[in-house]
Parts: sequence; C-alpha cells; structure tokens
Amino acid sequence: MSVATEPSQEVAGQTVPDPTAARQTPWNLIVWNDPVNLMSYVSYVFQTYFGFSEAKADALMMQVHTEGRSVVTQGSKESVEQHVVAMHTYGLWATIERSGEDG
Amino acid sequence: MADPFVYGLRGITGRLEDAERELLRGLFNDVVGMLEPEEGTHADPLEALVGLSPNASEPEDPALARLLPNAVKDDAEASLEFRRLTERSLRQGKAGALRAAALGLDSAHLVLDDAAAGHWSTALNDVRLVLAERLGIRSEDDAERIHAKTDWSEAEDVETYLALVYNFVTWLQTTLIEAMLDAHRVRSEGSGNE
Repeated sequence: MSVATEPSQEVAGQTVPDPTAARQTPWNLIVWNDPVNLMSYVSYVFQTYFGFSEAKADALMMQVHTEGRSVVTQGSKESVEQHVVAMHTYGLWATIERSGEDG
Repeated sequence: MADPFVYGLRGITGRLEDAERELLRGLFNDVVGMLEPEEGTHADPLEALVGLSPNASEPEDPALARLLPNAVKDDAEASLEFRRLTERSLRQGKAGALRAAALGLDSAHLVLDDAAAGHWSTALNDVRLVLAERLGIRSEDDAERIHAKTDWSEAEDVETYLALVYNFVTWLQTTLIEAMLDAHRVRSEGSGNE
C-alpha cells in the first residue's frame, strides 16, 4: 500500500506553512448509523477488516448506534479513502472528513 | 423453513428450501441488475481498464444511492470526484459477490468457506439495504414496525410480502454473521491473539 503524498512545500512563492499545519493532517473515517445494518455485522466488519479486538469493535459499533456516528480510524487521505471504499463494499455508510471538523 | 447457518467441524453450513433458493436467486440477480453500469457497451475500454467512470453521477434511485453512497458528507463536488474514481470498482465488487452467492444456490445444502461466507454476507446485506429502502425504513421505529410482520398468511399486499422477505433475509444474515463471528473467535484463540 502506498502512502499519500502531501503537496510539495517547495513551490516557488509559497508562504512558509504554519508549523502546526506542516504536520501531516490526519483524516477521519466516519461510520454512520443506519436502521438496517445489523449490530453484529458492523462489529464483524470492524474486527475482521481493521483487526480490532471484539471489545474495541463492539465499543465503536455501540458508539455508531447510540451517537449516530463514530471516528473509526484516522490516517492519511489516501488510506482513509481506501477505507471508505472498503466500508461501502461491505454496505456500511462511511465518509471521509478532515480531522478537527465537526459533522 | 431453512436451517440457520452454523459454524462447526465442516465450516459454516446451512440449508435452504427450494422456494427460498429461488427467492434469493431472484433477489441477488435483481441487485446485480441495479449495479450494472448504465454506460454498457459504449464505455471507453481504457476507462474500464483503469477503473474510471468519468460520467458517473449520484444515483437518482435512493436504493442504488444507498449501495453507492457519497463519500464526503455535505460536499457534492468532492463526492462526485471520488465517485468517478472509485464507483466502477465498487459496483463490480458488489455485483461479483452477489453473482458468487447466486452460484452457490445450486445446492440446497450450503457449505461456505471464508471467501463464500464473505460473498454471502455482503450479498445478503446489499439485498437488505435495497429492500429497506423500498419499504421506507428510515428509523429504528420503522425497522421495528417491519420486523413485527412475521405471518406469511397475511402476505396479501406487496408491502407485507416485501416485509416478510426482508425479515427472512435478515434472519438468514443474522445466523450467518453469528457463525462467522464464531469462526473468527475460534481462529483468534487458536493464534493466541486474544
């Protein structure tokens, strides 16, 4: 798996980036609640696709169920985009957002 | 009535009645039909080769939109760009799982290996997502209202029939996921990870 390449900071004329923003911005994988997907199925996907323990998968699944959404994992834009496609392949409703945004 | 899926010495096994196999075959094929790209034979072979669909747009059918959802919330433009890069492979992956599950229906006695169980679980789930959209399940209350319909002697109108089909597929998937979780637990214990 390749790693996302951030835009080059060496473009002529570009202002010096803020030191905090210079770190790679993490992206969030959000999984949303819906009334159709089985709780056991969501937990199964979290355990087998992400390799989470049963306890962690169940806790994230319950957060989706009770709060409507959960940040299931974070990472580079490219890796989170791959997770979104995987979740959609499983039939879970997932989106990508920049970390720090509040949906 | 079918036997539930269970995990045992032979892996994950189940059994379906003839009428249930015909029902599932029809449902799997219906969803495959929804997922086949509209461009068809006019598609650019190079685009097909690299997996792009530059003319993709958000599906108008809400059931298809549930199968192929937007990837960026509240950002139609970013979602569309993402869709054009990924939707073709998503459609193909889902249709492939549905076709594989349909092929497994040739036998009344089902013995699923890991790959087949994966195909079956996503195929049953996609069928449920489509049926739920047709039945107007938007909330937990809707889901409970539909779930309460269990008497086939009352299947006199289309909605009741669809609800009974939905509940059958839900039951089948519930037993399959339990069997898959059992298999996963045994494997995790065996490898000493848990």
